[in-house]
Amino acid sequence: MSINLTGITKTFGSYQALRGVSLQIEKGQFLALLGPSGSGKTTLLRILAGLDFPDSGHLIFDGTDVQHISARDRRVGFVFQHYALFRHMTVAENIAFGLKVRPRGERPNKSVIADRVNELLRLVQLEQFGGRYPTQLSGGQRQRIALARALAIEPKVLLLDEPFGALDAKVRKDLRRWLRQLHDEMGLTSIFVTHDQEEALELADYVAVMSEGRIEQIGTPDQVYHNPATPFVFEFLGHANRLTCRIANGKAAIGDVEMTAQLPGDSKPGDGVAFVRPHDIALQPPGTSQALPSRIRYMFTAGPGVRVELERLDNGEILIADLAHEQVQKGGFEIGQPVAAQLTQITVFPAP
Amino acid sequence: MTRRASPAKLNVRSEPAWLRVLLIAISVAFIVVMLVLPLISVFAEALAKGFAPYLATIIDSDALAAIRLTLLVAVIAVPLNLVFGLCAAWAVAKFDFRGKSLLITLIDLPFSVSPVISGLIYVLLFGARGWLGPVLDEYGIKIIFTATGLVLATIFVTFPFIARELIPLMLEQGSEEEEAAISLGAGGFQTFLRVTLPNVAWGLLYGVLLCNARAMGEFGAVSVVSGHIRGKTNTMPLHVEILYNEYDFVGAFAVASLLALLALVTLVCKSLLEWKFGDRLAAGAKH
Repeated sequence: MSINLTGITKTFGSYQALRGVSLQIEKGQFLALLGPSGSGKTTLLRILAGLDFPDSGHLIFDGTDVQHISARDRRVGFVFQHYALFRHMTVAENIAFGLKVRPRGERPNKSVIADRVNELLRLVQLEQFGGRYPTQLSGGQRQRIALARALAIEPKVLLLDEPFGALDAKVRKDLRRWLRQLHDEMGLTSIFVTHDQEEALELADYVAVMSEGRIEQIGTPDQVYHNPATPFVFEFLGHANRLTCRIANGKAAIGDVEMTAQLPGDSKPGDGVAFVRPHDIALQPPGTSQALPSRIRYMFTAGPGVRVELERLDNGEILIADLAHEQVQKGGFEIGQPVAAQLTQITVFPAP
Repeated sequence: MTRRASPAKLNVRSEPAWLRVLLIAISVAFIVVMLVLPLISVFAEALAKGFAPYLATIIDSDALAAIRLTLLVAVIAVPLNLVFGLCAAWAVAKFDFRGKSLLITLIDLPFSVSPVISGLIYVLLFGARGWLGPVLDEYGIKIIFTATGLVLATIFVTFPFIARELIPLMLEQGSEEEEAAISLGAGGFQTFLRVTLPNVAWGLLYGVLLCNARAMGEFGAVSVVSGHIRGKTNTMPLHVEILYNEYDFVGAFAVASLLALLALVTLVCKSLLEWKFGDRLAAGAKH
């Protein structure tokens, strides 16, 4: 199902949760709403489901305005952050719920419901758990039952609120892969909310980065990661070093050093903010041109790479660099040693 | 003793043995003196002259009338408070509105007001010289010194029981399950019947049991509005008082023993439910 949102606003008391959100999703897409807590992403998801209503704006599903269609009739599968399984019902009863509450005319008969429940239990790989109660399941299992329950009504769109938020790291990664596979196999249109950038980038076709009730940028994971539209997006999608700079002569001057950089569209001369990812910093021998003279303050070597803390010699600011173990060994770097920090990829935004 | 021998096993929570014994002894002694002895004495007095006089006082027509009236009052008051309690708990737990904390405070009011005052309020309101008394009189409606008055006073005194039991439960459960039900296509009434009600069923049952026990045992408020008309507006607790004042100790204690039995049955019911569904209750609370 295609979804079209325009100019959605929502206020809770004096708090403005959404400030004019527009968004378009095509059938079959997997979209992530990514943002810190309080950015309005869950509110947006609840508005899509009909659990909250916008103050203004339009909400169109497949060309039909659904603003005044209640949650009950929207045929939207919603998976809650804490699953919201019916605690007094067994797993099978939970999954069957959406079918059992249908009006008499549309309600499938008992054996059809039972078959459907079994089919869904197989789908979420919990066939032998139909008779258990939700409290007798682990977090990951509950999550899958919540999903099966939402899928039972054959939803036109699947909405997931922080689907992996309450799970431990290992389960989370497995479930992520499994969910993506399920989405592709069933031809679903899915939207999920997350504050975990890694999850959003890995799982979604499109990522909408939200901040303070607005969408900052929407694009493929590649687009938002490599061409962030705003400083917020850059800083939210991974670690970033933030440096003040001046834009001049089509270059960015950081400290006294002029460097090639990705400049804002108009590249007007003036103050700017430069962002550099830790893995876009290379260490060179002191005195190398086009690099920032620095000193190594700390090195954290326990991990897949080496995290190096650099102190700029010109203004004392700290830079974080991620290097490979081999690079550190080859360069023979040690704490306290003077080096030159070469910034291989710089993204500049006009100063706010 | 073994604990002393291995001090390494002591943890911060292990009090000395004498303290434990002392605390347990105090609790047990207190319960025996304050609860068990009086209870035994009720039955002992009631049966002091044998079983025949005991039975005779109970099947006395005034006593039977009192029993009937007590049951009638409970049968009206408890369901009404059930509906009220559910509405109030639902409103408090699931919606945000102005004056919510005031409502919660007001629900507690009957607990903090002396029941005698509660009864007096009704006399002042509905009595022959009360605010509404003359108006009602014109229409031939009598409240004070009738069963209606007893029912009203009992409702007032017992209305917090069910609401109080449900509010914390429903607050803790939140409304996510209801939202899930609606997004799965359930209507408002289906959601209430299939999700909300089963989730609070045990709390509701506790509330009903407590409410019922109090409704049958209430003395102060009903005493004020009843007028003590034998065979007409006497409930069991009032009948006990009358018999006692007339030095009919066997009679008084016999009727009292029925009330005591009722309390015991309520307690047993509650314990049975807890025992039988304890696992499920705990599971429900944890979820």
